[in-house]
Amino acid sequence: MPTTAETKHSNGRNKGIFNNTTGFSTLITVTVLSLAWLAGFASRLFAVIRFESIIHEFDPWFNYRSTAYMVQHGFYNFLNWFDERAWYPLGRIVGGTVYPGLMITSGTIHWILHTLNIPIHIRDICVFLAPIFSGLTAIATYLLTSELWSRGAGLFAACFIAIVPGYSSRSVAGSYDNEGIAIFALQFTYYLWLKSIKSGSIFWSICTALSYFYMVSAWGGYVFIINLIPLHVFVLLIMGRFSQRLFVSYTVFYIIGLLLSMQIPFVGFQPIRTSEHMAASGVFALLMAVGALKYLHSLNPKGQWKQLLILGGLVAAGTVFLAVVLLTYMGVIAPWSGRFYSLWDTGYAKIHIPIIASVSEHQPTTWSSFFFDLHVLVCTFPVGLWYCIKNINDERVFVALYALSAVYFAGVMVRLMLTLTPVVCVLAGIAFSILLDLVLKEDEMQTAPVETEDSKNLYDKAGKLKKRTPEPVPAADSGLGMNVRSGTLIAFMILLMLFSVHCTWATSNAYSSPSIVLASYGNDGSRKILDDFREAYGWLSQNTAEDARIMSWWDYGYQIAGMGNRTTLVDNNTWNNSHIALVGKAMASNESAAYDIMTMLDVDYVLVIFGGAIGYSGDDINKFIWMVRIAEGEHPKEIHEADYFTERGEYRVDSEASKTMLNCLMYKLSYYRYDSGGSPAGYDRTRGALPGHRGFQLTYLEEAYTTEHWLVRIYRVKKPDEFNRPRLPLAKRTIPTSNNLSKKPAYDLGPMTSKRRKGLLKNKPTLVKGKKMTKLE
Amino acid sequence: MMPAMAKIQVLVLLLLYIAIQCGSLNVDTISSDIKIKNVDRSIDISSQLVKITSKVTLENTGKVPVKNFLLSVEGGAKSNLAFISAKDQNNKDLRLVETTVKGYDQVKFWRVELKEAINVASTAIIGTESVYTKALQPFPTAITQQEDQLVKYNGNLYFYSPYPVVSQKTNVVLNTKSVESFTKIKPFSQQDGTIAYGSYSNISPFTEKELNIHYKNNSPFLTVTRLARLIEVSHWGNIAIEETVEIEHTGAKLKGPFSRYDYQQDHHSGPASVRSYKTFLPASASDVYYRDTNGNISTSNMKVKKDSVELDLRPRYPLFGGWRSHYTLGYNVPSYEYLYHSGNEYLLKMRAVDHVFDDMQVDELVTKIILPEGSTNIVVNFPFTVTRLSDSLHYTYLDTKGRPVITFTKQNVVENHIQDFQIRYTFPRLLMLQEPLLVVGFLYTLFLCVIIYVRLDFSIHKPEHQHKD
Amino acid sequence: MTSLASVIPKLYQEYTTKTSKKLKIVDAYLLYIFLTAVIQFAYCCLVGTFPFNSFLSGFISTVSCFVLGVCLRLQVNPENKSEFQGLSAERGFADFIFAHLVLHIVVINFIG
Repeated sequence: MPTTAETKHSNGRNKGIFNNTTGFSTLITVTVLSLAWLAGFASRLFAVIRFESIIHEFDPWFNYRSTAYMVQHGFYNFLNWFDERAWYPLGRIVGGTVYPGLMITSGTIHWILHTLNIPIHIRDICVFLAPIFSGLTAIATYLLTSELWSRGAGLFAACFIAIVPGYSSRSVAGSYDNEGIAIFALQFTYYLWLKSIKSGSIFWSICTALSYFYMVSAWGGYVFIINLIPLHVFVLLIMGRFSQRLFVSYTVFYIIGLLLSMQIPFVGFQPIRTSEHMAASGVFALLMAVGALKYLHSLNPKGQWKQLLILGGLVAAGTVFLAVVLLTYMGVIAPWSGRFYSLWDTGYAKIHIPIIASVSEHQPTTWSSFFFDLHVLVCTFPVGLWYCIKNINDERVFVALYALSAVYFAGVMVRLMLTLTPVVCVLAGIAFSILLDLVLKEDEMQTAPVETEDSKNLYDKAGKLKKRTPEPVPAADSGLGMNVRSGTLIAFMILLMLFSVHCTWATSNAYSSPSIVLASYGNDGSRKILDDFREAYGWLSQNTAEDARIMSWWDYGYQIAGMGNRTTLVDNNTWNNSHIALVGKAMASNESAAYDIMTMLDVDYVLVIFGGAIGYSGDDINKFIWMVRIAEGEHPKEIHEADYFTERGEYRVDSEASKTMLNCLMYKLSYYRYDSGGSPAGYDRTRGALPGHRGFQLTYLEEAYTTEHWLVRIYRVKKPDEFNRPRLPLAKRTIPTSNNLSKKPAYDLGPMTSKRRKGLLKNKPTLVKGKKMTKLE
Repeated sequence: MMPAMAKIQVLVLLLLYIAIQCGSLNVDTISSDIKIKNVDRSIDISSQLVKITSKVTLENTGKVPVKNFLLSVEGGAKSNLAFISAKDQNNKDLRLVETTVKGYDQVKFWRVELKEAINVASTAIIGTESVYTKALQPFPTAITQQEDQLVKYNGNLYFYSPYPVVSQKTNVVLNTKSVESFTKIKPFSQQDGTIAYGSYSNISPFTEKELNIHYKNNSPFLTVTRLARLIEVSHWGNIAIEETVEIEHTGAKLKGPFSRYDYQQDHHSGPASVRSYKTFLPASASDVYYRDTNGNISTSNMKVKKDSVELDLRPRYPLFGGWRSHYTLGYNVPSYEYLYHSGNEYLLKMRAVDHVFDDMQVDELVTKIILPEGSTNIVVNFPFTVTRLSDSLHYTYLDTKGRPVITFTKQNVVENHIQDFQIRYTFPRLLMLQEPLLVVGFLYTLFLCVIIYVRLDFSIHKPEHQHKD
Repeated sequence: MTSLASVIPKLYQEYTTKTSKKLKIVDAYLLYIFLTAVIQFAYCCLVGTFPFNSFLSGFISTVSCFVLGVCLRLQVNPENKSEFQGLSAERGFADFIFAHLVLHIVVINFIG
């Protein structure tokens, strides 16, 4: 039995077509999988075809920059890399604060290709890494599903995961991020875990641990694995499904995995020091205790071991739990981090960690996005789940737990939709496979090929429909229920077709924008590319001093470092909240107060994003309220959120806006000499308002560069000798601003209801189109 | 024994080298037989370059026919000189040899070798052309966004020559009427866009008289600080050319802020800035790309003309004084236009440098030529003096030994240097089969390995399983 | 409690009679590792855990050895044949060696 399992496995991986017993079905498996790979790869190329081979968004720029660094300077220098270009004046130890799996993966590919004299630029490797790994994910999903159910279901699942938008949203070409490879590692670890729990072999457990190691090196989401697997074990124990196989696979996996995970500098001693990891060690201790008792039981089966077993188990669990609580209390084990808390209490982040709440990806998921990301799968996966629970065994317990926890997490946070997607594909694959089994029961010979044909149909899209329709015809003449059957079959084929059409459409329209290159369409359908970001970063990299320090909101930190190659104060790593709050404070203060902060931080240039001229909604004025909130968190005396709203609690920029708003640095930098835009000169198209304060002069800063469509504005901070000359006007100017300051408390006098404090954005939702932090959960 | 021998060898070689060097360093004398009857000089300072063309009428007053004469350049200007040439009456290029004259160490001399000797008491008309870079100094050195750029030209009012000049005229082309100040030595006249000096008569050899013109010049002052040109020759019918250009606006620096508002309001704003420029590529150029380290620069237009491909390149941002930019421009040309062969002998004839923009000045040019793998007996022929760097090897797809790379560099390059170099080399044509065979061989071994692996899979595992059960 | 006291000698007797020689060797090995772990733990309590990673790698490697030993014991025990279908004792031992290989490479890396 296990030999066939093994050869099956090796066939799947090594394409052993020559295996004569399973030759034909292996051929089909290999074909379907490679076609799924191809389809997954191709459907992720929209961005490259439409724009170019370029790294997208924010975090990928950091990953790309560090990969380039690693390729240039070698692995060890990378691990010891102290990046003085970030978090000025603190700097950042990159090697110790990064999950290096991604860089190592692409660095290895680069190295292999270059030893073969294939001179591919590291950027192209980085751009195409995620699409390539999507193919590997499909294979891992196939393996996982065939472990769970059948190979047919596996093929379905592989085809689903290859094109499902929930996954391709994070793995289009150019989105060079941890998730791209982590989902593969996740699926593969789960597959190996099931394999090891099935066979009880140390070898498979070690493989699981190694794959887990890769996952740890790649993504913070490894915490999901290290909690899900113990949960699985725990539930199995409760269900009375303890077996020695379980004991072997879990203990070996846990202890080796623990050791391996501590090899990643960023993870360090966290696995034994933080509460997130304690469940795993608790289960480990529990399992040891149960194992010991079982052994004693086996020595003397006649004794009253049953009670002792339960008692012992409970005592062991209690001791472990108490020990963990005690250690946490004593401070040996760190309590749950804020990000972790926010998973349980969705309101937690909003109150305590505005910086997490400010990221759109950390918002709770809306119902529509479930449908948008998963389409028909979201409706069919409960069927698969139901079948799994109905025919339960050890592995299916696992998939049920996986599904339930992933559904919960996906509901809490948009970005965790990513962890839900694979299991939905697996279960939907099972559901479709069961359905086809039912419909095509008669000729069992045909089942396998037909299934695979169907799954091929998924990505062949509309064109293949003709080929599809004759399929049910031979089945139609074999009996009474045939009409019903073929009807069902056709209906499901249409569903699947709609699914593939939707997937292509969603990937192409929603997820394939590089976000650093914007495209606008004219009335005649002509496309115009707005390349302002790169224009500004290019300008920075060429025309500022090598060591110039750029202050901007943290969203743009990685891009400035990656494309502009200049020092930034804060970036998307967001590890130091007070530093970010300081930048937020500078943006929220008036010019002279901001100047003090900026001289304190040695700022040479200030960069703001202003979308008013072209109606770009993700600009700094729309994010500004988060800057104020974050600044207020650290400097509650100077910054008050309510000052930036009108008296009716509205967030606006026109003449009705509050004085503080109209005089803050961000406002001034955004609207300085802005007179282009809509029909009244200076009309802000994003907020649909005419700025309230215009025609002002800047005292401490001067415009250094503004891009063609006003999207990026860069200001130079003047040196003290440059503005002291007009001494008198300066003094005159500072008096009115200080008046404003003294007026501020007047607004504050009234009792402040929380509603008023929150305020409203006039036009836009409070979502900020920023991006995630490097650290997950 | 051996080290001593080696030392002697080295010494001998060194001496030989010095001797050759001395030999090549020509020493000439100024012939008193030659007199310049008339010089018609035109100084074009309307662009960022100074282009001086002169029509020189030489007269032989001696007793023997004159075969050659000397051209000279002032000591102060010689470092700016990028290019000099001479032509005879039939517009044929004459050979110029660098030389020195005792007693005039500061002055730079060229010996022009005439095709036909000037007979006694007869005359010959020679056209000379010289191009100077960085001879125009912006003054003031920094201007605001809205201001015009003013530059100063500082030259010699007289034709600088080792021979006496009987009569001469100079025409300075400015292409602008707004002249702040200029040297006024009579006779002179100013007409729209030009200032005419002369004629002056009987000027003795090596006379220098300062000529200063301070005027408005808004033409693009762009310097290519470094141009790396990579030519990769493939015998499969394609030559890939990639130019990495670092460019800087070397005119008056931008003072104070840059205002997008002003720049957008009116199109005459930023008169000294460079929004775009044109690059001409060979007519057969295809697959053109224009990008920098951050990806494509989407703002460019391509026009295919009869004799060239015209690219309208726009940098990511307008270039103001002191601003820099860089980009990579690449394209392919079919090899049959540039690569000739008979049997195994090949001849590559290509431009050492190509057009970047009109009136360009390139501080440093580095050209690399990658020849196909297996090329031997490489002989290079340059159209002008260059510094040849050591050859290297380049590895790319399916290379085993590496491709030979010829590298040369030259400082201070202008448009007049757009000339062909020639490379001869031997390439056995059978070697072209190497790369496809490599692929075939690799695939063959791969499949063979798979076959062997699958077979072995059975032979190793089966007994083990039996043993287990 | 009394029943427990009476049970222990019975257990010992059962153990000595039922367990094969091979397994006893493994058990001796396990006992040895267990004692090592106890010593390590006592050491860390008394002296402290100063090079934390060295201590950790040492301690975890002991625990892993113990765990692996237990697993090996489970797999070679003929009584558990039904649980571990197709896993021969040799296969179990090979896996054991492989696991130790991985373990010690990591430990050497981690011990610093």
